[in-house]
Amino acid sequence: MKKRLYLELENCIGCRSCLAACTQCGGHEERNRNYVYDVNPMVNRQTMPLMCLHCVNPACARSCPAQAIQIHETGAVLSALVEKCIGCQNCTIACPYGIPKFDTEQNLMYKCDLCIDRTKDSIPPMCASVCPSNTLQWLTDEEIENKKKQFNLDNGKWVTSIPYLEGETNVKVNLPGILQGITKLF
Amino acid sequence: MQAKVAANQKTGKSIDNAFASHFAKSMFLAVCGLVTLSFFGTRMFTHVDLNLYGYMVGTIIFIGGFFYRFIAWGERPPTKIFIKKGIKLLFRKSTPKTSVEHLATYNFIWNRGIYRWTQHILIGWGCILSCFVTFPLVFGWMYFTMDDNGYYSIIAMGIRVITVPANGIIANLSYNALNITAVMVIAGVCMALYRRLKNMQARAEQKFMYDFLPLYMLLLVSVTGLSLTFMNIFLRGAGQPAMSLIHQWSVIITLIYLPFGKLAHIPFRPMSVFARNYREHYAEQSMKGCKVCGDEFVSTEQSKDVVEVLGVNDIEFQTKEGHHLAEMCLPCRRKYRIAQFSGFPIHELKVKEANQNAKG
Repeated sequence: MKKRLYLELENCIGCRSCLAACTQCGGHEERNRNYVYDVNPMVNRQTMPLMCLHCVNPACARSCPAQAIQIHETGAVLSALVEKCIGCQNCTIACPYGIPKFDTEQNLMYKCDLCIDRTKDSIPPMCASVCPSNTLQWLTDEEIENKKKQFNLDNGKWVTSIPYLEGETNVKVNLPGILQGITKLF
Repeated sequence: MQAKVAANQKTGKSIDNAFASHFAKSMFLAVCGLVTLSFFGTRMFTHVDLNLYGYMVGTIIFIGGFFYRFIAWGERPPTKIFIKKGIKLLFRKSTPKTSVEHLATYNFIWNRGIYRWTQHILIGWGCILSCFVTFPLVFGWMYFTMDDNGYYSIIAMGIRVITVPANGIIANLSYNALNITAVMVIAGVCMALYRRLKNMQARAEQKFMYDFLPLYMLLLVSVTGLSLTFMNIFLRGAGQPAMSLIHQWSVIITLIYLPFGKLAHIPFRPMSVFARNYREHYAEQSMKGCKVCGDEFVSTEQSKDVVEVLGVNDIEFQTKEGHHLAEMCLPCRRKYRIAQFSGFPIHELKVKEANQNAKG
């Protein structure tokens, strides 16, 4: 069954387990490809994770002159193919979320590939496997739909993607309740 | 009516009009070039080695596939920009150094690991040297003659380049050139296959058709080539005719498959020199400051090109603030997204990016 990465942003406690787990993925050569950001560090301790959202129409792949960024049949936008990447860094400029990283020494771009060795067999990606606060979840579309019902909103404000993102993505994001005009209880 | 006339005048001048397509033109020029070179190389077709005609036909079909694949690829908007500007910047001072590092010594692969560098040097140079021997022989640009007095001449493009003792070092090296490169390729391919079985990154993404088939084909070419030598020396040529056909078949299949599989990166790779030149040249011209923090993070030209390429693809990342997302530096772009999620403009806050590397 097809599952998706699903982010409930405000659950994040800033433990950075996802970063550590990312380095341990089979294909990641001990370099993490995701980020955790403070929301307002002078005022509170809220953090939010940020990783590749695996756009349906990925700008990185569109801007790649070497066709090095492939899209897996599961929808995951893969890291650059090592033999094709020519090191132009177009993808880092094109990505609307600033996700791809570039290794100057190796002349190679690398980014979140949604742990494709795991997710192609429906095993959750490393980050979702270790997240202690249910910020990162690995859910079916049906489960995401149920989440939506659970909030029981009539204000049409449930957002899992647009308008806070630039386009349709394979990773679904559940924005903090504050933007949706609700208080969430967990 | 006027427009029609103007169009006619415009097209009437161009040589491109003589051909139905880019493909037809490239193919015509390439085949003409090969024939011309062979005409001179073989001293007006008097030294053609017809034993190799299969390879000749195979090469022409390969060139067809090659142009088909690469003209289609060159039409992609980002590729077109890099090719156009890359050719314009080809005569930079740093080009020879960059070319050697990227195309001959593979320094960047060294940085990815010594094991991978070794396997790449063995396969890469094994194949390149083989091509330097094979193609000139096939098209008659180079051939050998045995002189009466125990000397041996190498003739390149119809010119007697060197005459050496028939049992000397240089002569032996040239008889055995393909045996040596075959051993190099076999060693490299075995290393590559071993890595593909063990390395987790490779295992995650590899596909049979894309990653394994080229390796098996190179192995087949090298093993059948070496076994030709083996049959000559130890079996007095027994089985040679059949094996030479198998070898020919394997080489031709590899050539035809080349533009469509993993090996396509061989003719593709000079683009990395273009890309490096492009980045260096335009970085010297002027750098783009981030619209939020002001840090210079990319050349103005590349920023402009990426915005343009995205536009061609109907991707417009205009922010509420009125600039394009590609005009922000990467940390600011990430913080900007967090700002969209949280409603608080963290990207405008002058705080250091919190620890993003999982090294503690």
